[in-house]
Amino acid sequence: MNVPTEHLLALAAILFSLGVLGFLTRKNLIIVLASIELMLNAANLTFVAGSRAWAAEGVTGGSPLQGPIFSLFVILVAAAEAAVGLALIIALYRLKQSVALDSAGELKG
Amino acid sequence: MNAYIEQMGLIAPELVLTALSLFVLTWDLLKKGRNSDHIGYATLVGLAVTGWLLLQQWGMLGDKGTQTAFGMVTIDRFGTFFKLFTVGSMAVVTLFVMLDKNERKHGIGEYYFLLIGASIGAFFMVSTNNLLLLMLGLELLSLASYSLAGFHKGSKRSAEAALKYIVFGGLSAGVMLYGISLLYGLTGTLDLGLMGHAPEGSGAVSLATQFDASPIPVAIAVVLVLAGFAYKVSVVPFHFWTPDVYEGAPTPVTTFLAVGSKAAGFAALLRFVGALFLTDGVDASIVAYGDRIGFLLAILAAITMTLGNLSALRQGSLKRMLAYSSIAHAGYVLMGAASMTSEGFAAAMFYLAAYYCMNLGAFGFLIYFEGVTGKDDIDSLKGMGWRHPVVAWSMVVFLVALTGLPPTVGFYGKLILFYAAIDAGLAWLVIIAAINSVISLFYYFRVAKSMFLTEPVPQVPMRQHGLAGILCVLAVVTVLAGLGAFKDPLRGWADEGPASLEIYATDAGSR
Repeated sequence: MNVPTEHLLALAAILFSLGVLGFLTRKNLIIVLASIELMLNAANLTFVAGSRAWAAEGVTGGSPLQGPIFSLFVILVAAAEAAVGLALIIALYRLKQSVALDSAGELKG
Repeated sequence: MNAYIEQMGLIAPELVLTALSLFVLTWDLLKKGRNSDHIGYATLVGLAVTGWLLLQQWGMLGDKGTQTAFGMVTIDRFGTFFKLFTVGSMAVVTLFVMLDKNERKHGIGEYYFLLIGASIGAFFMVSTNNLLLLMLGLELLSLASYSLAGFHKGSKRSAEAALKYIVFGGLSAGVMLYGISLLYGLTGTLDLGLMGHAPEGSGAVSLATQFDASPIPVAIAVVLVLAGFAYKVSVVPFHFWTPDVYEGAPTPVTTFLAVGSKAAGFAALLRFVGALFLTDGVDASIVAYGDRIGFLLAILAAITMTLGNLSALRQGSLKRMLAYSSIAHAGYVLMGAASMTSEGFAAAMFYLAAYYCMNLGAFGFLIYFEGVTGKDDIDSLKGMGWRHPVVAWSMVVFLVALTGLPPTVGFYGKLILFYAAIDAGLAWLVIIAAINSVISLFYYFRVAKSMFLTEPVPQVPMRQHGLAGILCVLAVVTVLAGLGAFKDPLRGWADEGPASLEIYATDAGSR
């Protein structure tokens, strides 16, 4: 089964838009972090799709593995970001007993 | 094997910093939370070694840079300029941490560890043409900064600042990564040099070729990546986080974010724009698109400086005012990038060096002031000028420089930025920037007025000699760097940066 590249790119674009939409509309910090993960995964899918398409055309830009390797690094970065993000959410929860974005209202102006 | 070791020599400063970070972390564990000042001293020694290595490297490098680690790392004077900048700001921030009266004296070794980690990220971010390493450097810098912003985890303001920082930071990282993935999909390479100009047989398609075929995806990809950088340097419309994070974070961290982190962001922005649109080999058809990107940056610069200055006018807190002022200054520096000439890039680099002196000074004053009063609002400054004359007069020097008045380096920095922008046909932007400088006069001098022209409020006399000494030195540098003898070499350094910003398309055959 061979999925056309356009379909993969469209799926990635939809994922990315969903991520942005979730980020803009949801108030729960954990959901907000999850939305960011969606956006990162959209980038991953685009990398892998692009890599496959270029390999099929014989264009490698130095190394054919650049795309997949980049997505491995993105997964790593996403994990690190989630770790730091959740730690900070726990720190805020201890102070405010809430994980809503609105509960962060100390700083304004 | 020897060739590998030789290549490693090129990233010796980074290796020293990495070793330093591990040393600091281990030592902190072994000390089990006793006095952390020794760790601070160790950090300073490590930074001095790094700075010395960078100066050696500057001497060794000619006009052309060189690549190492299979083309991942590009060592050139442009990068070394910003690395020296990072090391310098790190050293001053380390001193600030050690001298901050509101900071614990014990068990804060990881403070230094995180700061060094952020610097390593900044180092790799400014010295690569490869988008993978650029993104990893940026993330390392960001992740360390998020944790630093929330360092006072018992404080609601600090926790909130860190949370806002990581939420918006995560968004910008996602946006930027999606942009990079589209660029990769379009060109088949991650090397900025190959994106600008792909020679026959390099195994990539240049961005110009793709732009001719399908302009809209290229435009979207470039704008998405620029959005990531705009967040890092807090350019409108990606500036929301700046005042909140700067206000809530511990003040030495704010200093690092405003100076070191922002400069690294600008370095990456300049390199990205330069590689795609400015370098000699770049295909002609994309240059026109580059001019449009330049115009977009010019508009953003105008909005950024105006919004930053107008918001700074109505701030009661000195810390928040400095945050908005740093947004305004990001607008000024962006003028240099918007002019899309190597002259403009050099002007931006010079202005960042000027910004380094005056902003480190202004934040150092804030730390001193917080140490004395425990507050950060401008009204509590009353009488500072009479009780702490040396520090207050240093602050006046920084305020004069931030406004951009002679005889300080701030004046000269603005002057060459304005010249560069006029040469690039952006006279309207220069007029807006000049008006903005006048607006900024009001809020900067509100601080001076509060210090000198109002009745002193009774307060405990408390002297902090170390901090006062640093402020004096910075004030002297701020004035001297604006005068010929010191200004010209600095100008020369800044001019050599963009000259070395030639892109080294990786030789595909060597892989």
